[in-house]
Amino acid sequence: MIKAGFIGFGRMGITHFSMLNTHPKVKIMAVCDQSSTMLKVLNKYVDVKCYKNYKKMLDEIKLDCVLISTPGDSHAEIIMSCIRKGIHVFVEKPFTMTSSEGREIVDEIAEKPIVNQVGYVNRFNEVFMEVKRLIDDGIIGKVVNFSGEMHGATVLKDSKSSWRGKKSAGGGCLFEFASHCIDLVIYLFDKPDTAAGSIMQSIYSSEVEDLVSASFLYKNGCSGSIFVNWSDETYRKPTNIIKILGTHGKIIADKHAFKIYLKEKDTRHGFDQGWNTRYITDFGKPARFYLRGNEFTNQLDCFIDCIDKGEQSNIASFAEALKTDIIMDAITQDAARNLPREGRLTGNADTQDKASFWKRITKRKD
Amino acid sequence: MLDRIIFGDNQFFGINHMSEDKAQELAEKFKDLRAITDVLDIAYDCGIKAFMLNTHERTKEICDHFRNNPSRYADLALYPSMPYAHKYANAVAEKGIFGTLRDYILADSSAGDVLRMIAKGGMSLFEQDMLKVMQLLVDMEMKIFRGLNVKVVFLQNIVTDLLLGLKVKEAFVGFSSYIQERYKVEAGFNTMNMPMLVDFLHECGIENPIVCSSINKAGYFMNPNKESYEIALQGKNFRAMAMSILASGAIKPEEAVEYVCKQKAIQSIVFGASSKQHIIQTKDLIERFS
Repeated sequence: MIKAGFIGFGRMGITHFSMLNTHPKVKIMAVCDQSSTMLKVLNKYVDVKCYKNYKKMLDEIKLDCVLISTPGDSHAEIIMSCIRKGIHVFVEKPFTMTSSEGREIVDEIAEKPIVNQVGYVNRFNEVFMEVKRLIDDGIIGKVVNFSGEMHGATVLKDSKSSWRGKKSAGGGCLFEFASHCIDLVIYLFDKPDTAAGSIMQSIYSSEVEDLVSASFLYKNGCSGSIFVNWSDETYRKPTNIIKILGTHGKIIADKHAFKIYLKEKDTRHGFDQGWNTRYITDFGKPARFYLRGNEFTNQLDCFIDCIDKGEQSNIASFAEALKTDIIMDAITQDAARNLPREGRLTGNADTQDKASFWKRITKRKD
Repeated sequence: MLDRIIFGDNQFFGINHMSEDKAQELAEKFKDLRAITDVLDIAYDCGIKAFMLNTHERTKEICDHFRNNPSRYADLALYPSMPYAHKYANAVAEKGIFGTLRDYILADSSAGDVLRMIAKGGMSLFEQDMLKVMQLLVDMEMKIFRGLNVKVVFLQNIVTDLLLGLKVKEAFVGFSSYIQERYKVEAGFNTMNMPMLVDFLHECGIENPIVCSSINKAGYFMNPNKESYEIALQGKNFRAMAMSILASGAIKPEEAVEYVCKQKAIQSIVFGASSKQHIIQTKDLIERFS
């Protein structure tokens, strides 16, 4: 049995626990969380050892792997502790807070190899996987331009009490939301060479951005853009849409379905000339255990499979996630350069509170 | 005895598992209560008297409408499903799980009193007795249906499957017995993992449980696979209810209903539709193939 430990037991930690606890090759040994209420409840109903201090947990229990679902600012330190002990790591996104932290970790892994994965779950969504396969097959020719959008209603007021509302803790729309959108772009088209025209705008939050947009340029002549807003109440749940224009056609995809337009019929993939729609039910497979969508289960199963088979790298490895961290750094710096003269870009909430946020953003430039 | 045909409510709340555009269209179509009750009336008048209702924010309006027209809905049977998890999702992101639960409970007058009374000596109710917390939450959600004829109370699939993964037997036993003792009706469970759940409920000592899951010819939302569902339906002791029989439109209605009706262990079929034509067509097909 693969012995697993959990660090961070909020919404994502619990979800991962539930999905992994049903895996036939995994035995969950211990959980670490800051909340003593959570640990007491857990102790009462679930058969695991509970810790408040992760170092103590790593010292006392012999673990094969750890799942980290803590706020982003703690990722680098915890990951390093695990690497030194030879423990395989799955960490929730974003990978780290800056690309320099991420680079150090990737270098460390080159010395002390472990299975490593970041929770970029779109890479396990069957629609996006199918779209990648089609693009790589060249079905729409050379990709000329794309636009990636992500919308949600996660933040509809200023939430200073939550870590999600604090940049220093790894909160904000860029780390928490746009990272998924950027990762999807990198998964499909690899890392952009330049980020330009970046905007980080707050709508409700006083300390973090609620909206991120940026343009991406590639040396091969492709261009693209992202638009991400987590403060849009018209969305019932977080939604990803990607539109891809190629020399031979176009693809529009979300998590459930994609539409493909082809200039010419493609018998190899079974598409007619013009528009074709495919739903996830046409090619998706059920999951071993379903909780939040097949992709959530499949990403954990991929991690466990890699441990089981001794395969160090996988589709959502730290090295891949580092590319997203690099682009997030680039967007942050570019957005700071693009600020209007008065130094802030805010939505409808009280602008006075927002000064600190923009000061911080500007500071990150250095 | 479960109703053979139960009308579901996902279409009213902008839920469509297949298409986000379609979901938005539905949300717009049903923004007025009248649009919802018109569709419910079509179902009711063609003989479908049983409705499965999630505890969505808008369900209270629907239930007020039922309560205000008792003679119109004299034969009504409700199958509530709780909690409607999206209602809590944003609060959980902001305040954490316990913060959200505490705020929701404190906002309710009677449940809030219980919480304040029990939270003594620095120990929160969560630490002392999560089952009591669950009971308070059930009571809060059940207020939506007060005075109406409730037949089975379901635990919604996100919560059912989360607890199944956590393997917390106490929660399943506690929910079942509380629904029976307090509301004098049976508990049921919605799930996306039917074969695993049925086995687990048996391990919990819950005999012949009521389990509602997606069952369709396409194998859509049937985890880990369609075959395991068919085997469970043939060999396991439980009362099966089928939902998502049309797999969000992936299967033609006739084919879809024929498949579900061939599974003789399925006692009850839940379907949602938003036009008169689809409601009548699906009902007629179920009756024809049953």
